[in-house]
Amino acid sequence: MILYRGKLYDNSRQSELIASLRDDLYAPLRCGGTLSPQTVINACDRLMRRVLDGEFDSVIKPFLNAFNVSEAQFNDMTALFSKEGLEYKCAVELCDGEKVIDGRIIRKRYPLGALLHIAAGNVDALPAYSVIEGLLSGNINVLKLPMGDSGLSVLLLYELIKEEPALSDYIYVFDVPSTETATLKALADLCDGVVVWGGDAAVKAARTMADVDTKIIAWGHKLSFAYAEPDASDAELYALAKSICDTNQLLCSSCQGIFVDTDSKETQRAFARRFFEILKAANENSRPADYGMRAKNAINLYNERLERHATGSEILKEGAVSVIIAEDETLSLSYLYRNVWVKRLPRERLYTLKKYKGCLQTAAVLTRDRETREEIARTLALIGVVRITSGGNMSRTVRGEAHDGTYALREYSRIVETELFPPSKSS
Amino acid sequence: MKYTRRLFGLGNIYDTKASDELFALAMRENARFQYDNCADYRRILDEFSFSPDMIRGTDDLARLPFLPTLYFKHHDLFSLPDSRMLIRATSSGTSGAMSNVGFDLKTLAFGARMVINVGRYHKLWSPVPTNYIIFGYQPTKTNKTAVSKTALGFTFFAPAKSRTFALEITKNGYELSWERVTDALKLASRSRFPLRTIGFPAYTYFLLRDLKARGVTYKMPPGSMVTLGGGWKQFYAEQPDKKEFYALVRDVLGIDEDHVIEFFGAVEHPILYTDCRFHHFHIPVYSRVIIRDPDDFSPVECGRAGLINLLTPMMQSGPLLSVMTDDLGILHDEGCPCGAPSPWLEIIGRVGISDVMTCAAGAQEYLKEQS
Repeated sequence: MILYRGKLYDNSRQSELIASLRDDLYAPLRCGGTLSPQTVINACDRLMRRVLDGEFDSVIKPFLNAFNVSEAQFNDMTALFSKEGLEYKCAVELCDGEKVIDGRIIRKRYPLGALLHIAAGNVDALPAYSVIEGLLSGNINVLKLPMGDSGLSVLLLYELIKEEPALSDYIYVFDVPSTETATLKALADLCDGVVVWGGDAAVKAARTMADVDTKIIAWGHKLSFAYAEPDASDAELYALAKSICDTNQLLCSSCQGIFVDTDSKETQRAFARRFFEILKAANENSRPADYGMRAKNAINLYNERLERHATGSEILKEGAVSVIIAEDETLSLSYLYRNVWVKRLPRERLYTLKKYKGCLQTAAVLTRDRETREEIARTLALIGVVRITSGGNMSRTVRGEAHDGTYALREYSRIVETELFPPSKSS
Repeated sequence: MKYTRRLFGLGNIYDTKASDELFALAMRENARFQYDNCADYRRILDEFSFSPDMIRGTDDLARLPFLPTLYFKHHDLFSLPDSRMLIRATSSGTSGAMSNVGFDLKTLAFGARMVINVGRYHKLWSPVPTNYIIFGYQPTKTNKTAVSKTALGFTFFAPAKSRTFALEITKNGYELSWERVTDALKLASRSRFPLRTIGFPAYTYFLLRDLKARGVTYKMPPGSMVTLGGGWKQFYAEQPDKKEFYALVRDVLGIDEDHVIEFFGAVEHPILYTDCRFHHFHIPVYSRVIIRDPDDFSPVECGRAGLINLLTPMMQSGPLLSVMTDDLGILHDEGCPCGAPSPWLEIIGRVGISDVMTCAAGAQEYLKEQS
């Protein structure tokens, strides 16, 4: 499905429409129009209310089930699109108003221009969210849908234009497969920035595709972890375990494993055993993990057991839940779906995580002592972690929060300084 | 390997009950051979404190440590020197990595006897010259996938009058030509000799769907047959309802449902499973299936879904006697009108696909019960 100037078209019209994009894309520039954040906010707010009223349930409900999104999480997500949520976001991210410098220069934020969004397929409404961020910063947006898109993003953007027809010149959606690099390159050439979501391969592909004069804004895959003192409280560990069960470790902010502040194998083992019991309890109190995924992990963990002679890992497993007591100190992806690793990493070696600079995101710090927590948090912030939380809050959504350490709306902006017309001699 | 030789000589291919004792003896014999000749396998059995002598009957087979296909993808396990391997085969690598398996003379001899017996039971042998169309790869010296080898193998059940491959080797690698295939189909429909098609179900389905959309239909000569093998691979999601598939075969090729035969097997378990006329994969005497609960690997009773663990003493070249697949399935023992007494295996999907429930009608209830 293609969305072009507020109208839906079949994919068969793709090449014809992309050809005419060259003329149409800059339409708002021709008439010197600007898009105010308030226009976008009002349209989003009206649409969000229709979503909450259940108008799109037939499309949204299956996706919520497929991704195991609870009603509370869904409400958190929709709140981001509410008037209050978006106004707060703009207030934080676009806080620099117009400034007059030395009485003769105006320094002002402008949109980057046109953005090509290359969206990832792992979260369904994300492509639409990316475009809304582009709109809030005043940009013209071209969205390339992820493979296997369910159609939810096109629907939401189409309805958004219906709420505010002025947006029709600012939103274009194409269903170009990632393999059609020539077409994608043509789209990128028309744009000032390429916003790419996804793994290393997607980011690399965007970098090779875009010319040097095109800005790349990459929201890559991230890995998150917990850092625990051996004496962390059961309550904090339970909160962490529960968030592991609730997200199935699928989010960038989900905990993949726990580094324990110790050098001792015995301490590591005791901690892992304690956490294993807690994780089992949290699992009991959560919706069961997907059957097919449980089966897949059963095989992965059995295989891990066969490899034990080479890796030195110990595996604690019961039902769907497992803890691997590992010998290495790398930050790695877990088997997901309630399977975590526990590794030794004494505080003085925390800095070694610096090598994962590109993929650090959230770290939960589990300590009993405020000073220790602050010290660890400081080190984590220095090595590149951008969200430091308690065990249960790793995947919380907060109004106006930065995205992977930066404000998206600022990334989609540039600062323009304009000298004022020289004052006339007579005045 | 006297027990294994006797087992593969059994002609009553679905009388698993009568062969239970012999099967267990052959498994013990094979386990002992692998234990003595493959260091990695010996280590694994030792770690599980399992000795081949502990196999005294089929009930003990569930305790024999299985190896997941995943393990074979990362390790080459052989119990015979390279020089003894006459054929090498690799899995098709649907998920990237491939298993590497070798076949020695003894294994091939067992396999040949099995194929003769299975072919006889299912009336696959025929002296009538046959036109073959293979919806798959033309085998070459470099293509070691088992699928290309077995596809070629099937063209020996009846003397080949012609063989057409959908994917033929050219100087640019494999090239798919629907035109070549449709030309061959047209010729076959005018021939006095029957046609047999062989191929992945997905390729066969896509071709037939394409032909139907173009309004092309044929009436193939009597005795023609559509044979399918290799599973749906990455096309799970597009798998049609079986009834719809058979109707499509009838509409496009004029071949009735009872002449559509599906095979199932794996590089790591090269036993020829052939569906009966009710499209059930009965377990042949050369193999046993244990369905295991993914949460603790305990065997589950018939009628319940779980991981498919396949057992056979056929392979001499490596420890492939108990292999855990990546597939989920159900074993049925409610009796089949075809008369074959052994239970049949229903494959319901691959692990790790969240919408695995859509893979087969009826599986949903089984999965719900367990999750």
